[in-house]
Amino acid sequence: MTRATAGAAGPAARASAPAARPVRRREPDSGAAGARGERGRPARRPGAHRSRGALIAYLVGGSLVSAVFVVPLAWEVVRSFQPESVVTSAPSAGAFSHLTLANYQALLSGQDDIIRNVVNSLIVAAGTAVLTAAVATLAGYGLACFAFRGAGVVFGLVLLAFMVPFQAILVPLFVEMHDLRLLNSLAGLALFYTAFNLPFGVYVMRNSFLQVPRDITDAARVDGASPMSALVSVLRPLILPGVATTALYAFLFAWTEFLAALTFLTNDSLFTLPVALINVEAGTYGRINYGLLLSGSVIAMIPCVVVYVALQRYYVRGLISGALKG
Amino acid sequence: MILVTPAVAVVSVFTLFPLAFGVYISFTNWPLVGGYQFTGLANYVSLIHDSAFLASILFTLEYTAIVTLPILIVGYALAVLVRSNRPGAAVFRTLAFIPFIVGLVTESYMAVVELQPTSGTVNLVLAKIGIVKSTTAWLVHTGLAITAVCVLVVWFASGLTMMLLMAGMQAIPAELYESARVDGASWWAAERRITLPLLRRSIALSLIISVIGSFLAFNQFYIMTQGGPGTSTTSVVMSIVNTGFSDFNIGLASAMSVALVIVVGLITFGQYWFLQREER
Repeated sequence: MTRATAGAAGPAARASAPAARPVRRREPDSGAAGARGERGRPARRPGAHRSRGALIAYLVGGSLVSAVFVVPLAWEVVRSFQPESVVTSAPSAGAFSHLTLANYQALLSGQDDIIRNVVNSLIVAAGTAVLTAAVATLAGYGLACFAFRGAGVVFGLVLLAFMVPFQAILVPLFVEMHDLRLLNSLAGLALFYTAFNLPFGVYVMRNSFLQVPRDITDAARVDGASPMSALVSVLRPLILPGVATTALYAFLFAWTEFLAALTFLTNDSLFTLPVALINVEAGTYGRINYGLLLSGSVIAMIPCVVVYVALQRYYVRGLISGALKG
Repeated sequence: MILVTPAVAVVSVFTLFPLAFGVYISFTNWPLVGGYQFTGLANYVSLIHDSAFLASILFTLEYTAIVTLPILIVGYALAVLVRSNRPGAAVFRTLAFIPFIVGLVTESYMAVVELQPTSGTVNLVLAKIGIVKSTTAWLVHTGLAITAVCVLVVWFASGLTMMLLMAGMQAIPAELYESARVDGASWWAAERRITLPLLRRSIALSLIISVIGSFLAFNQFYIMTQGGPGTSTTSVVMSIVNTGFSDFNIGLASAMSVALVIVVGLITFGQYWFLQREER
């Protein structure tokens, strides 16, 4: 795993450099330039850390610091395999002799069945990711490759929307979704998540298309390709990293979002996983069961970690280009 | 032009229209069903006299003031750790960022379990060290609850600041450090004279992101303290949600939302102003 993650960060650094290029032109001392220099530049402070001892000290110190961030989460995974009676009684060293799947079995069957909620979360997150990527790709294509009247206004609107925190429009949005019959609807929730993720997605996709060399689009046009067939056949491989970034952000946002799901869904059977866990925490189904709460949280955590570690180069790329926009 | 239509439509319907609609509602006594009347500034007048809302503003400011600096300092230290090209740096970077990826909601649930008196891991560890008693009930005392939430949030959010500052640090030309070293400057002097001034932009950006994030806090308080004990840990967003969806005072809640949009807008605008000024 160590090698895999180290390897993933390398391409990430390289991938982020082209993404930042159009922005850098305007803002010469922006942060993105650095991501490129990570590999292959001379050591930041040559000599200072050359010796073997210093490297070992760095690795030990770095491991200890990293442990602060990872061990608590790993610990919760272990805890989620303890029987509920152990989770809620005074902890002892002997508590690890019997780890069990009981919490997961209880959580995935019977009264507290959360399979439905996991499925709801998956539907909403996957739907949001696909919809955001598709709509943002089209908009980015339009904004970057075609000059049309009002393009500036469109991009201005998108940036304006970027600055609106959804927490601050929750109340009018609730009224509006009520009137549109989109409350208590997974599709409605996914549409809202898409709207919230679109400004960032459009920004990323516009940059992706701007990096495509002009010659390629021109050649496709000369060959008589329609805009859509040029997109599908010629441009697709070039913009795929941008699409991945957009979809990844949308997926993680929708998977972990809590407040809007809590507000727009009132029917237990439609709850997404983070909202369903409130019922577990509150002991809606009888007594409070912390074992269930832990195993449910671990289920919520796993996709985030897996998706991030596998696709982190796209994530970091998006973070840096998004940060530059400010 | 057709290509941008879906994006414009979705953003307009679910973001820009609600924004304007919220302003409109805030001047009415909007019920969820039935007619409504314009009430002028009545909602804004009651807003100013709403002691619960004012208390939630004060609490949110206090909370923001507590967590902002620790997030910056921890994030800066982490960025120093992971910015190099030494072996391991990329792995440390990935690991320190994982709490941010997993999200505060999931971590708040875990914290609830681990902060329980007698059974939680937090008390087990801290009682061994001798800091607290094993029966300390973290989430039922205001001070302890705020402490617990703030520690959790700093742990959660520092990774993001780390990533933003790291990108900024790596943009600083290595030659600057080399010439500083030739001049005999210490590590600390180079950090203070070269890194900090050139990093102002990144620091400002990460500060603004964390301040806005703190100002919009909801999840951690809803899950860990339910705004209590009493209403002592009720944040602004929680106050809006309570007014709108528990009391069904949609007009007043909209007025609160408008106030929140203005404050967040001012922070964002201040950021642009600051960054523009830096450019020149």
